[in-house]
Amino acid sequence: MSLLADRVNMEQNKHWQSFGELNNSDAFQKAGKDEFKEDLPFEGKEGGGFFKTPTPRRDFLKYLGFSTAAAAIAAGCEIPVRKSIPFANKPEDIVPGVADYYATTYVQDGDVVSVLAKVRDGRPIKIEGNELSPITGGGTSARVQASVLDLYDSARLRFPTMGGKELTLEAADKSIAAELAGIGGAPVVILTSTINSPTTLQAISQFLAKYPGSRHVQYDAVSHTGMILANEASYGKRAIPSYRFDNAKVVVGIGADFLGTWLSPVEFARQYSKNKKIDEKNPTMSRHFHFETVASLTGSNADERYLHRPSETGAVAVALMNAVNGQGATGISDPKLKAGIEKAAKELAANKGAALVVCGSNDVNVQVVVNAINDALQAGGKTIDWSVTSNYKQGVDADFAKLVQDMNAGAVGAVLIHGANPAYTWFDAAKVASGLSKVKLTVSFSPRIDETAKLCKYVVPDNHYLESWGDAEPKSGYISLMQPTINPLFKTRQWQSSLLKWSGAATDYLSFLKTYWFAKLGGETGWDKALQDGVINPATEPATAGATFNGGGVPAAVSAINGSKKGGTTELVLYQKVAIGAGQGAINPWLQEMPDPLSKATWDNYVVISPTMAKSLIGVDVTNNGQADDYEVNPPKRQVTVKFNGQSVTLPALIIPGTQINTIGIAVGYGRNKEIGLAAQTDEGDAVGKNVFPFASLNGNGVQFFCENVDVSLSDDPKYVIAQEQTHSSYDTPQGKRVEVMKELTLNDFKKSPDDILKDREHELAPYGGLEKFEKQGTIYGYYDKPGIHWGMSVDLNTCVGCGACVVACNAENNIPVVGKREVSRFHDMHWIRIDRYYSGDDIDNPTVVFQPLMCQHCDNAPCENVCPVSATNHSSEGANQMIYNRCIGTKYCANNCPFKVRRFNWADYTGADSFPHNQVGHISEVTLGMNDDLTRMVLNPDVTVRSRGVMEKCSFCAQRLQEGKLKAKKENRPLKSGENNEWDLKVACQQACPTNAIVFGNANDKNSAISQMRQSNPYRLFHSLEQLHVLPNVNYLAKVRNRDEEDATMEESKGA
Amino acid sequence: MHLKYESQLREPLVDGIKDYHQVTEDIVRPIEVKPSKLWYICFFISVAFLMFGVYSVYREVVYGIGQWNVNKTVGWGWDITNFVWWVGIGHAGTLISAILLLFRQGWRTGVNRAAEAMTIFAVMCAGQFPIFHMGRVWMAFFIFPYPNTRGPLWPNFNSPLLWDVFAISTYFTVSLLFWYSGLLPDFGTVRDRAKTKLRKKLYGILSFGWIGSTKHWQRHESLSLVLAGLATPLVLSVHTIVSMDFATSVIPGWHTTIFPPYFVAGAIFSGFAMTQTLLVVIRKVYGLEEYITMGHIEAMNKVIVLTGSIVGCAYLTELFMAWYSQNKYEGYAFWYSRANLFSPYGWAYWAMMSCNVLSPQIFWFRKMRRNLMVTFFMSVIVNVGMWFERFVIIVTSLYRDYLPSSWTVYYHPTIWEVGFYLGTFGLFFTCFFLFSKYFPVIAIAEIKYILKTTNEGFKAKVGGLEAQPVEEFAHDYAH
Repeated sequence: MSLLADRVNMEQNKHWQSFGELNNSDAFQKAGKDEFKEDLPFEGKEGGGFFKTPTPRRDFLKYLGFSTAAAAIAAGCEIPVRKSIPFANKPEDIVPGVADYYATTYVQDGDVVSVLAKVRDGRPIKIEGNELSPITGGGTSARVQASVLDLYDSARLRFPTMGGKELTLEAADKSIAAELAGIGGAPVVILTSTINSPTTLQAISQFLAKYPGSRHVQYDAVSHTGMILANEASYGKRAIPSYRFDNAKVVVGIGADFLGTWLSPVEFARQYSKNKKIDEKNPTMSRHFHFETVASLTGSNADERYLHRPSETGAVAVALMNAVNGQGATGISDPKLKAGIEKAAKELAANKGAALVVCGSNDVNVQVVVNAINDALQAGGKTIDWSVTSNYKQGVDADFAKLVQDMNAGAVGAVLIHGANPAYTWFDAAKVASGLSKVKLTVSFSPRIDETAKLCKYVVPDNHYLESWGDAEPKSGYISLMQPTINPLFKTRQWQSSLLKWSGAATDYLSFLKTYWFAKLGGETGWDKALQDGVINPATEPATAGATFNGGGVPAAVSAINGSKKGGTTELVLYQKVAIGAGQGAINPWLQEMPDPLSKATWDNYVVISPTMAKSLIGVDVTNNGQADDYEVNPPKRQVTVKFNGQSVTLPALIIPGTQINTIGIAVGYGRNKEIGLAAQTDEGDAVGKNVFPFASLNGNGVQFFCENVDVSLSDDPKYVIAQEQTHSSYDTPQGKRVEVMKELTLNDFKKSPDDILKDREHELAPYGGLEKFEKQGTIYGYYDKPGIHWGMSVDLNTCVGCGACVVACNAENNIPVVGKREVSRFHDMHWIRIDRYYSGDDIDNPTVVFQPLMCQHCDNAPCENVCPVSATNHSSEGANQMIYNRCIGTKYCANNCPFKVRRFNWADYTGADSFPHNQVGHISEVTLGMNDDLTRMVLNPDVTVRSRGVMEKCSFCAQRLQEGKLKAKKENRPLKSGENNEWDLKVACQQACPTNAIVFGNANDKNSAISQMRQSNPYRLFHSLEQLHVLPNVNYLAKVRNRDEEDATMEESKGA
Repeated sequence: MHLKYESQLREPLVDGIKDYHQVTEDIVRPIEVKPSKLWYICFFISVAFLMFGVYSVYREVVYGIGQWNVNKTVGWGWDITNFVWWVGIGHAGTLISAILLLFRQGWRTGVNRAAEAMTIFAVMCAGQFPIFHMGRVWMAFFIFPYPNTRGPLWPNFNSPLLWDVFAISTYFTVSLLFWYSGLLPDFGTVRDRAKTKLRKKLYGILSFGWIGSTKHWQRHESLSLVLAGLATPLVLSVHTIVSMDFATSVIPGWHTTIFPPYFVAGAIFSGFAMTQTLLVVIRKVYGLEEYITMGHIEAMNKVIVLTGSIVGCAYLTELFMAWYSQNKYEGYAFWYSRANLFSPYGWAYWAMMSCNVLSPQIFWFRKMRRNLMVTFFMSVIVNVGMWFERFVIIVTSLYRDYLPSSWTVYYHPTIWEVGFYLGTFGLFFTCFFLFSKYFPVIAIAEIKYILKTTNEGFKAKVGGLEAQPVEEFAHDYAH
């Protein structure tokens, strides 16, 4: 039978469900009719009103339909439109989601650091150090890390202006060319900060050649005039040599903050740390004496620090010279200081050829004396290398003073300004302003309306360095190349191109640059290679060489120093902060919010006073627990007024130990023009901090950043809030020293009994099975194996200098919001890594300082994990403590239970990532809001979630980098490499940024990884913070060892406790 | 020798000469008359507070926890302080109704209704804090173990906060049932006296069809006992679990094994104080002095001095252990951050000490126990002290914990944190005023139950018996 027939047959069959249906009985028919037992609720026709009827079905449907539609419309209106545009034609070399790295060079006012720019989808988002640079070796500084944010700064000028009005580039060119032609032979001056780019210098000289009588003036806000001129006098070279801290066994610094702000801190920190690394089998270290006036980063890292008044700098140098020459430290009255000088001199003299003295003074005479000391120590060719000069700072203040004079005399026809900002940084800014007003043509290349650009007729904004071509020669023979990583965002142009154009050259700067380097590198291939590397190094490292010292000027220098003004009661020092510098960092929210390494303050400058002065000046005795507590827990601080020579400034006073008792310090770089960006303004609309450059003075050839006799008095102004991220600075408590938190000891101690710390740990853990069995016996819970990868981090407290590069690197890598001063002062800061700074020692005015970078310790038995009610924070199989943001409900219990207090909560909608609209009110600062615009958000790392309000966050060990590294290894079908033979599949952001390689990270289960090696080779110094809690951190520290003579009491005390 | 019908040691639980009708009249009257002007004023003040609280919470929910001054080191501040405080207050109600019922303490009848109502309202207030202290309260449902498509992904059963959720919700449920089952006969009484249709209907619904049959009474009694049995462990467990929020942590000052009993004692302490505060007012306002007698007040004052002293012992034990262990972190938390009057929060510790330990000692004196003004004043003082206890535990432990680098600036609340707290006062009193207006504030049925044995009226009736010598009575009885 066919299928069709089958179906027909089926359809004809009668199907029935009951006998009633089969017979079609009456009962069945009735049941069919009455299928619905009750009437359907139709609206009764007989009326009775709407409310009396049973629910009218149609009306119900009508209302349902209306309300659904209304809800849909209402909801539809609220949804913001987010544009996401795919590539119509995908560029060949861009793979979405994969970062490209371009070697380029960070250049700012002579500072040069070779870097790699990480570019994601056409946007540079992160700066990493370039490990091919022999100068920095991959190290960076906070300012280098933060520079990527400047690219996306909404306060950048977006077009050229004339008298504040927009102009096209062509119009500007035409108009400026016409004006240049019309100045009638008056000299043109190109005013810049230090330029160490060979091609730029060539472009400048081409330009100058066109305008005879013109000159190039280099002006550095904080110059090294004293050194440059002293070297000219002593060695006949108007230059600065290379310093080789890595060759020095004894380093003496006299006010030179070479780890923070002096000359080339990244380079020096790297060299310096080499001799601070300890080989536990054969422990040796360099010894560093530091003489300073106000606590600095470098002084805080010194093995021994001595304090002196700023007016005594010359006397200290002379005394040191005399002592080195075996004549005793004469002319120093302070016995402590005198003993220190003699001790330093003894050490120096004992290490001739491996000793180095550096001095931060800008006084030629002092530097001549320092040169004499270095000569006596046979430093030339060993720790001072004249075969390679340092080109970071070349400005001589006298040149600029002359320019100011000429401008005021009307003897300058045109000024073209790049980099320098004298209307802010020159002590006599009014003279600069009046001078500029007398110059016919003033052109600024400033990327923003800074104080000087405001006074210029034309502003032709320069590109950001990430948009630029270029080169730099930070040290003679060492070249670092700059290439753009993004098209210029705005209608800006590289200033070199402008110069070339205005000098009538037909080429733009790129072809000019290529021509220059093709010739040197043998054409395109060499150029391409150099560009890829980012650096051009000498084929062989030039042998270090000395220079002939001419001591003829020394007696005159000594007598000049002896005859100089003696200080008064209170002296003032103007210093630069690591993050802000001479004001360059003031535009950058990351830098403003980076806590100062010493004061831990953000967003302000203040008067630094010693604990002794605090007692008399602001009535706070820090040795009195009650007063100290009161001072610490209340962010509003007393204000003091500082007066000198008609200048007056009122600022809050912060007590910073390590400051000479009769000396106060104030940071420069604050009180900037508000138009330079939101970061330079407070929420009240004032400038952040106050400008103290006017307190500087010109002494002969160089600007001196101190005043011998200032009048300091307590101000009647109300207290002023200082936002500090750390308020308590001692790990000593009335109940005992918290040595589980921090361990430090002296080299002598360490040599005598290297296993002190190990024994100490063993003793502490003895009741729980001792070190060996602590992990298993210290808990009632089970033990789990840790197969596969187990991440670990080691931080060497001996090499960490506390510079803060890691803090800003972490900001950039992990999209950490800037919360503004108000929130920081409420302890709402968001930094995932912080650098804890502790003071110890008996001398309250001059304690020893130790820095401890602290991030999430990724405890294997994490107290945060078991208290989260929703398991939003949990442990990965690789030992990392992870945060699941979209699971987090924000109870903050984890943060409470974290003994390290590293967890950060999104107190408000800092990022604009929240689903609630219009809720960025209340405590959110303008600067935070300013970072939520589309331009600034381009800096965000697309691999990292932008956290919304109400969730907890913390260090993730850069989970995105771990994933990338693992994938890389997997693709190559091999185990992950984390430091084996110095091969790295991944480096976490803080580790990458660190100039001293203090942070090591990797797979602790891999015996060959750097982290395992580090732990194995440092058994004696290794410790985990708060180990006794059995939280089992995956971060370990290596104890701080100080090369001091006296033995440290720390360890002794802990045994008693 | 004479027969003693009534205890000579115990004073009567109901004063005056009462019969059953009089009792009903006295207690139901306030429900049936229009509320006084004073009631309206108080009620609207409460509602105003409640509204301010609602606005404060609105700000916090919409703008973020940053509306408060809690910070990266002090993650909990006023919010959890208030939570523990309110939960503690609730405990007296349960203790009075459940444990005293099981122990057959007749004096509980005068005060149990109001105390239980207080429990329920206090727990309602308490519950607001853990809910709204969440950064993302709209995701709060994550905390419930419900089946879901994420695995399923369960909450973390290790977390004391999760235990809190179960403890508090169980507590609330049982307390509500207990309270309500006790109300059924009284609602029946109110319904039967109702004169308007609406009242009849409403109280009819509320009374669940209570007709006072023997069967009803028998079931009612059994249910009360069962619920009392269920509620008794809760008196101990709820605050034990709340204390574990702290005790199971690693923070010095929190990580303390003494917490569970000490928290329970503290809870009863503050609960009785709050009951006193309310009853002293209610008995005056509603003229119920004859039902809530000085005997009641005195009995509760005895509990206050007992639990206050237990709490005091716990404080001293903590200090002793901090010294005896020679643990520097504990030592700092207890001896510096707390016991040192001149440390930043020393004043809070000593406020706690003087309110909770020193001042209640006044109740060793009978005269003071029976003095209404002293009682009222002390009841307020005790709750101030207990608030400080929780504040001291939470804030002084957190603000200076392990790493000195993280020691924080002074924590003080913002107006919105205070507003949230005031809002819960608004909620509490709004509920309480509504309760006192619409519900019988004294358990009518239970008062009637004890009336025979304790009231003057009955004493008068059987007074003749006591005059009779025993032999005579026995003789009469035999014939």
